[in-house]
This record gives sequence, structure tokens and C-alpha cells, in this order.
Amino acid sequence: MLAEPKLKIILDLVQSSTKEELIWMNGYISGLINNGKNQEQIVPASPSSAVKKITIAYGTETGNSKKVATEFAVKAKKKGIVAKLVSLDQYKLNDLSKEEYFFTVISTQGEGEPPVGAKKFYEHIHNNGFKVSQMKYGVLALGDTSYPLYCKAGEDVDIQLDKLGGQRIVPLQKCDVDFEQDADAWFDHVLKSLNESAVVAPAVKIQPAVETKKAAGKKYYNGTIITNVNLNDRGSNKQTYHVEVTADEPIEYEPGDALALIPFNKIAVVKEIIALTGVDPALELETAKAKGTVEELLTKNINICYLLSSVIKKYAAITGHQIPDARLDLIELVKKYPVKDTSQFVEVLKSLTPIAPRLYSISSSPNAHSGEVHITVSLNRFLVNNEERLGLCSEFIGGLPVDNNFTFYIHKNRNFRLPAPEKDIIMIGPGTGIAPMRSFLAERDATGASGRNWLFFGEQHFVADFLYQTEIQNWLSTGVLTELSLAFSRDQQEKIYVQHKMKKEAAELFNWIEAGASIYISGTKDPMSKDVENTLLEIIQEQGNKSADEANAYLKKLKDEGRYEKDVY
Amino acid sequence: MSEKNNLSPIEKIKVASKGLRGTLKESLLDEHTGAIREPDEALVKFHGMYQQDDRDRREERETKKLERLYSFMIRLRLPGGFLTPERWLAIHHVAGEHSTGVIKITTRQTIQLHGILKSHVKPTIKAFNDVSLDSIAACGDVNRVVTCNALPSQSHLHPQIHAYADKISQLLLPKTKAYYEIWLDEELVAEKADETDALYRDRYLPRKFKIGIAIPPNNDADVLINDIGLIAIVENNELKGFNIAVGGGLSFTHGNESTYPRLATVIGFTDTEEKTLKTIYEIVTIQRDFGNRSDRKQARLKYTLDKMGVEAFKAELDKRTGFKPEEPKPFAFSQRKDEYGWTKSADGLWHYTAFVENGRVTDDANAATKTGFYEIAKTSKANFRFTCNQNVIVADVIEEDKAEIDALLTQFGIKQFTGSSSAVRLNTVACVAFNTCGLALAEAQRYLPTLITKIEPILNKYGLGDEDVIIRMTGCPNGCGRSTAAEIGFIGTAYGLYNLHIGGDRLGLRLNKKYKENLDEANILSTVDELFKVFAAEKNTGETFGDFSYRKWIQNN
Repeated sequence: MLAEPKLKIILDLVQSSTKEELIWMNGYISGLINNGKNQEQIVPASPSSAVKKITIAYGTETGNSKKVATEFAVKAKKKGIVAKLVSLDQYKLNDLSKEEYFFTVISTQGEGEPPVGAKKFYEHIHNNGFKVSQMKYGVLALGDTSYPLYCKAGEDVDIQLDKLGGQRIVPLQKCDVDFEQDADAWFDHVLKSLNESAVVAPAVKIQPAVETKKAAGKKYYNGTIITNVNLNDRGSNKQTYHVEVTADEPIEYEPGDALALIPFNKIAVVKEIIALTGVDPALELETAKAKGTVEELLTKNINICYLLSSVIKKYAAITGHQIPDARLDLIELVKKYPVKDTSQFVEVLKSLTPIAPRLYSISSSPNAHSGEVHITVSLNRFLVNNEERLGLCSEFIGGLPVDNNFTFYIHKNRNFRLPAPEKDIIMIGPGTGIAPMRSFLAERDATGASGRNWLFFGEQHFVADFLYQTEIQNWLSTGVLTELSLAFSRDQQEKIYVQHKMKKEAAELFNWIEAGASIYISGTKDPMSKDVENTLLEIIQEQGNKSADEANAYLKKLKDEGRYEKDVY
Repeated sequence: MSEKNNLSPIEKIKVASKGLRGTLKESLLDEHTGAIREPDEALVKFHGMYQQDDRDRREERETKKLERLYSFMIRLRLPGGFLTPERWLAIHHVAGEHSTGVIKITTRQTIQLHGILKSHVKPTIKAFNDVSLDSIAACGDVNRVVTCNALPSQSHLHPQIHAYADKISQLLLPKTKAYYEIWLDEELVAEKADETDALYRDRYLPRKFKIGIAIPPNNDADVLINDIGLIAIVENNELKGFNIAVGGGLSFTHGNESTYPRLATVIGFTDTEEKTLKTIYEIVTIQRDFGNRSDRKQARLKYTLDKMGVEAFKAELDKRTGFKPEEPKPFAFSQRKDEYGWTKSADGLWHYTAFVENGRVTDDANAATKTGFYEIAKTSKANFRFTCNQNVIVADVIEEDKAEIDALLTQFGIKQFTGSSSAVRLNTVACVAFNTCGLALAEAQRYLPTLITKIEPILNKYGLGDEDVIIRMTGCPNGCGRSTAAEIGFIGTAYGLYNLHIGGDRLGLRLNKKYKENLDEANILSTVDELFKVFAAEKNTGETFGDFSYRKWIQNN
């Protein structure tokens, strides 16, 4: 079918090529045909592995599996492979069917059991009813030959993944207590087979990132909570909820964005208001912003908490009561200053303002946590008339169990964006300020961004308040985090905050900035972000030998270049 | 397998540790974790500490994305288990400030504190050092705390014999100054050459090493469970010397037939202090040179001895000491339990042995033991001595002060608890196990007291309430609670399940044997009920449960 000159070229090429190169060409051409795209997509062969993304999951009791898995992840990263390192106790079981390259390091306990943290995973893969047909996998089993059921858990995982339709690309390796050499050799084998299996299908999916056009207007999602955990340990003064949410349709967002959540009022309070006022809960009503029954509106649309004084003035005008200037809840108003009749109350309802959406910085990354959006919500406590009150929204979300639904939309934050992948970033995010930083780190980990990352985090106590500790530790051990500076304010006599740690690292911090790093601050505006900014100015002054004005100008320039961004509240 | 010819990973860590320093200093500075770096976990033991974590909290903290709740257990080096009241006060304060608050008396006569966070370790060691206490070599592959009969009234030679515990401890102390550098921020004054350790060299011992001393007729030190046991030979009110026993050790591994508990074999008698110490030293060097360094489960002296054979071992020892020890002298033990209550020693001093259930000094529903000892220490009128049965002796009280101390013991309920506890409870020993011990398969000290409460009525039912049956429980087969050297041993196999061992003798001269496997509480109680029923009906006069159960169920099976 080919004309002579073309045939000669191809025969020459074929004869001079290795088997791997031939396989690559085969895949490349078939990729071209299937995609119908032109040559722009050729990626020159690099010495690094062609598989770009793998998952390394470990189940550990003594820490050995974790250690081995971490070493593997570091090795893989050096080869340019994005290796997601995850402990099996944190692993999302639903992700299994999406895995393409999945490597498990797992130890065996006592009577052939998996480590406690890996039990759920172990049981899950023993339940049939799902397939892992795209999975290529390998298992490294750690054990102790002095036990009769040596490496049993690893064996089981290896067998089950095969039964579930996975393709074993490296044989099971069992290791005794002196596991180092065997484990290393096994992973070298993995890396080799990744190279080989990768060339089979180079049909490069690399497409220029399409800038998705944002639809005009807000897009509302119906969110479902899939995880809701209080990250603070017993004995903490804080309650910080890590909430994972999915929606009926793909959620479009970027690291740095916020989730706008519209909380519902407490049903019990709504019912009490209805009972006190005698209003018909089923009465259809239309306010400025919404339409529905009284009960629906009171639950989902109308703000009944901590009313503005302007709203209270209106209430006073409608009901004819003398009400001193204070911020009260609707329930307190109807108790202390009752409405005359239901029609007066309907008038009140129409005068009330809608529930304001609350913005939470997103703590997940679209690339690392596909199909999900995570937020990090601190239970907001404040005093009203010397009485402790909880923020409506944080209490709402904190108390919302898994499988519950709520409405949200994505609030774009174009002033809090990651720089180019090769640029360094400095993240200062104490408390819930960690949220967008977790998003950044997860994103940079998942995409293999080469820039350096430095995180400053602070909270009250190391033991109870180190938000996302195990994830941060993993990023540190795999090198995603280049530097980590921590400040736990109440673990010692003197209070230590993130800005004190910045001062301590002043010289290095300034080096990073001079070398082009972007700075991000997230968390409370007052006093944290101000203290941090003042500290930054001091550091610029001292380290850069600048006057106060020059330092201000320097920081302003960073701001103008998009290298100093804040997400504070 | 071929790997077994290689050194175990711990051996490599020891050699590379620069005199047990490793990267401990750096580990302490790691802010992101409450743990120390992995190789340092092995090294920190030589400094008297274990890194542990609260196992009750693992799963909950995992879901919170928090690492395990790491903390450290610090064990003091107290040869012979003796403290002045000033030191007791210091420990009391340290326990309140840095640890869980409970002062744990161990089965090797010392004190350990649990739950010390990494950031609190240095302040703890500093506070101990201020009263000249240390934790050097309290754990690790070295000679551990040397034990000895605790009660001075047992022999007028007690002070003389007890002094050997300290002498042996000093003789076998590692030479490295790493402890002072790492924990007490002392300058590296000593040049490396000064740390040359002729005994331990750079690899230390293949495994832990334990030495105990007994003064017959009392064996409360459980002398034959040690790598080296010294049995004092007293004739005509004079210390003649010591019988030397070697190769004891109780740890084994479930399902691993090549591991086993073993009592020490008496190999000879030495008559002078010089010869005794020389013999001990050279036994340690034999273990250093011949012990298995590839498989830590085969590394204790008992395996070295059995592999060489007793005669070859003795020949090697003679070669190293340059003399032949004499034939062992006859000796006899008559009891292993503690003598509770007041006793008087030959020098006219009074000693009150108080029952501290499983060695946990704390204030609870039974007695305000912790406050009581604190108040007693404040008077400065009593020393504190610890027994290998995890009890506390308020010791060395002069006649004039006895009433005052007695009143305090009464005020805080210590006397009442000691006096009212049943014979079987007074003879219990339990290891720590959950929630901090990483090796535990089942509960021990948190569970044994309630199990005893359920066993007591069974004994009473068969009229055995006054029997001193020795019951011991360990959460794993490693034997910290010496469960294989009990008349009834419960050895954890999995959470809530225990192997039941019976047939050990009352004096510590015969180990027990496995009788039933994997019993839960209901099965434990029904089995024990059956055993006691038969024992009550068929025992000979004066026959102990240990001897009876051996004859009845173990010997011929």
C-alpha cells in the first residue's frame, strides 16, 4: 500500500529500532489515528518513565510499610512519576475502580491479619460486586517468617485484586523482617515494568489545557456530604470539621476558590417560631428573593439568627413594640415582643433578609480529589450578651452527617491562584487558613509541579490541633513540601505564632522571595494577617537593607505581580 | 534461610550509632511529629526509654488525620529498687507534670513513667538528674536493672548482699556519654577515646541482659528467670559467696517452636567478690561474642547456652576468668511472695510492705496510695523499696517514727487495702500491656484486677480462699509479668483471649505449661472452676496448686 520511498523509510526505521521503540511507534500511530490529531502532540522520549501517575498505598502497624512506601514514592518522583502516597486507612475505597497503576505495601499481623488501619480496605476487596479492570497492580508483602501465616495479608490482597479483574504487572514479593533489599529490588522491578507497560500506550492524551468557559451566573450544586470529621482531637479547645462533598454533576473549580454554602436554620427553632406565632406552616408565601411555604422559607431562605438592627427596627415598626437597639434572634423577638396575629407575622417574614451564603476556602484539589470538593470549617463560637453562641453555618455543617444534602456554588477567587508549576510558593496558613494551602499542595503533588513549597502552619496544641497532620507529613517525606515551619502557641510558656517562625527563618524566607517565590496568606484577617504582613515587611527591611518605605514598595510590587495574595476573613 | 547469616537491622543501627547517639538530637527537633526517627527508636531504649503510642486512640486519630499519639515511657535505673524520700518526692512531681501521673512499679523493682510527650522528655530527664537519678541502660541490649530481694528484714546480711546489685550495675554500665549530651545538653567533653567500651564495644549485646540476686530462703526476686542469677550462700551468719546460675529468660513467640521460656541452670559457686564479679563479667563477654546477632528471637543467653551446651559454656567461661568455680552449694527456697505488713530487721528498723495492685501507684477507689506515699516521703522518715512483685516497702523506719508512718498508711487506706485483699490478689503480677505497650496482644494490668474479682468467689466456693496461688498475666508471650513462672499464667494471644498455663511451682523452680488455648473470659472462669474443684477434692495435705496441677494435668501429658 505504501509507495516505494515511504516503504523504505519505514523499513529502515523498523530495522534500526529496538523492540520498545517499535511498541512506542505502534501505540503512537494508533493514537494518532484514533485522535485524528496532528503531530503537535509528539512528546520526545525522555529517560524517565512514561507512566506519569501511580498510587502507592500502604497498610502499616509498626511503621515499616509506611517507611517502605514513602521511599518508593520518593524514588518514583525522582523518575518524574507523580506518585500518590496514601495510607490505606485514608484510602477512598470508591477510587479503586478508577486506579490505573496501584501498588500496595502491606504487612501481616498475628494470625495472618492485615494491620488494623487496612482492615476496611481488606474487607472491601473481599466483597465482590465491583471490578478494577483498568488497574495494573503489584503487591509487596511485609511479614515475619517466624509466624506460620507469613505475609498472608499481602498474599490475599494480591489474589483479590487479580480476582477483581486487575492486571498483575509485577509478581508478589514477600519480605521477612530484613525487608530492605527485597523491597528495593521489587520496586526497581515495578519501575522497569512501568516503563515497559507505558510504551504500549503512548497515545498521548496530552491536550492543551482547555480553559473552560465559565457559565454566566452562579451554578448551584446539590451537594452530598460523604465525609465529615472533626479534625481536632479530644481535649482541644477547637472543633474544625473536614467536610468532603460530592455533587450530582462535575464540580468545576480551581485551587484557591471558595465554596459558598447556604446553611439551613434549625428545624426545632423554626417549629417553635411557628408554634409561638400560630402561623400556618403550609402557607405559600413570596418574599423578595424566594417563594415557598412558610416552613420552607423559614428553614432554607430567611435569616432568623442574630438579626441586624435595621431588621429589628422594622420589626418594631410592624409590631408597634419599643425595642432597644440590640441584635437578637427572631425567636427571642417573638417571645419578648409577640406579634399581634399571623398576618402581622407574615408581614415580618417579608421584611426579613435572606440567609447569607457563607464562603469557605476549598481545601481540595480537582486533580487530587477528583469529583469531590473539601472544606475545612471551624466551629465558630462567639459571645452575645455574655452567652456563648455558635455560628449558624459552622454549626450547621459541623452537625450535618454523611449523606445529607445542601446547596452550594463555587465562588471564584482569581486573586488566590497558584503560579506556574516551576515557581516556588510560600504558604502562611495557620488555623483554617490551612484550607487553600492543602488545596495547593494536593494540586502540586498531583500534577508533579516542580516548584518548591514552604508551609507555615500554626494552631494551639501540637497533639490535638495539627490539622491534616498525616497528609502534611506525607508531603514532607515525599519532598512535595520543601520546608515546613510549625508554631503551636500554647505548648510552652511563651506564645509562639507563625510570624515568630517567619522571623526565625528570615534569611531563607527572603532568599525564596528574591528567587521569585509567591507568598500566600490565609486565615483570620485580624490579627494574624496583619501581624504576618508586618513581619514580612520587617524581614524585607532587615534582609534587604531597605527603609520602611522601600519595604512597602517592595511588597506592593509583589502584590502587583500577583506574588503576594491573601485569602483572609 | 540465608538472611539469617546477616546481621539483624538493629545490629546495624547499633554499630552506626556513634556511641548510641544516632540522630536523637535531630529527632527531638523534628516538629512535625511526636515520634523520633526510626533507627533512633532502637537507640532510645539504651537511654531507658521506649517510644510508644496510645493504642486505644489509634483508629480515632487516624480518621482525624492525626498521627498516632506518640509518647515515651521512661524507666529508671534503680539497682535493687531503692529510693530515698527526696527522690520519691521528685518522681512524684515529675509524674504529675510530664506523664500520665501514675507511678508504675515494674517487675524488676524499678519505676517507669508513661505518656511523656517528646517535648517533655528532656525536662523529665533533667528533673531526674537533679536528684541524681538516671535511666541509662534501663532498656536496650545491655545489662538492665539488677534485682535483689527487697525486704531488709529477710536477712541481717541484706545490706551486704543488696550492695552487689549496685556494684554489678556499675560494672556493666555502658561507657558512652551520649546520655548526658543528648538529654542534659552537656558539652561533648569526653573525647571519643575516653568512651572506649571494652565490654560492649560498638555492638553492645545481642539482646537484653538481666541479672538478679536471691537471698534464700526467699525467692521474691524470681532469680532463675534471669540471664544470670546469683543465689547468696549464707553459712554461720556469714556470706560465703554465690551460686551462679545462667541462661534464664521467659520470652517466647506464639507459633515459633524454636523459642521457649527457660529457667537458669546453676553452674558453679564463687566465694569472693572479685571472683563473682569477674565471673559475671565474663559470662557477659561470652554472650557478647557467641550470641546470635542475626535473629533477635534467638539472641538471649539461654539460646547461646543451649547451642553451646552447658559443659562447653563452662569451659569457655573458665578460659576467660582464668579460674574454675567451685561446685554449687546446696540451697533451698521456701517462698516467693512478699511479706506484707510490718516486719523488723536485725538492725532494729521497721519496714511496711504495702500491696500495690500490679504496681500502679495512683489514687483510686481502693486507696489513696499515691498521696499516701507522697505524705510519707514528706516526713523524710522512711525510704522506699520496691519488690519484684510490684509492691512498695515503706522502709528503714526507726522505732520512734513507726506510729507516725503507720497512721499515714492508715489515713490513706493503704493498710486497709493491703490487709483486706485476698491471698490470690496479693500474689498477682501483671505487665503493662494495653494501652501503651506496642507488643501487647491482649490486656493485662487493666484487666487482671477484675478477673481476680471473678476468680475469688470460685476459690471461696471450694474453701481455697487462703491459698497463696500465684496468678500472673501478660499481654503477650514476652514475659515482663513472668507469667510462665506462675502457678497459673494467662498469656494474651489476641484481644480478649488468653492461653492458660498451669503447673508451675510456687517457689519459681519449675515453669508452667500450656493447658488450654485462646480462652475468653467465660471459658477462663469455667476452666478455673473445674481445676479448683478437682484440686480441692484431690490435693494432698499441704500440696500447692502448682504441684498438684503439674502432677494431675501436665506431667503425664
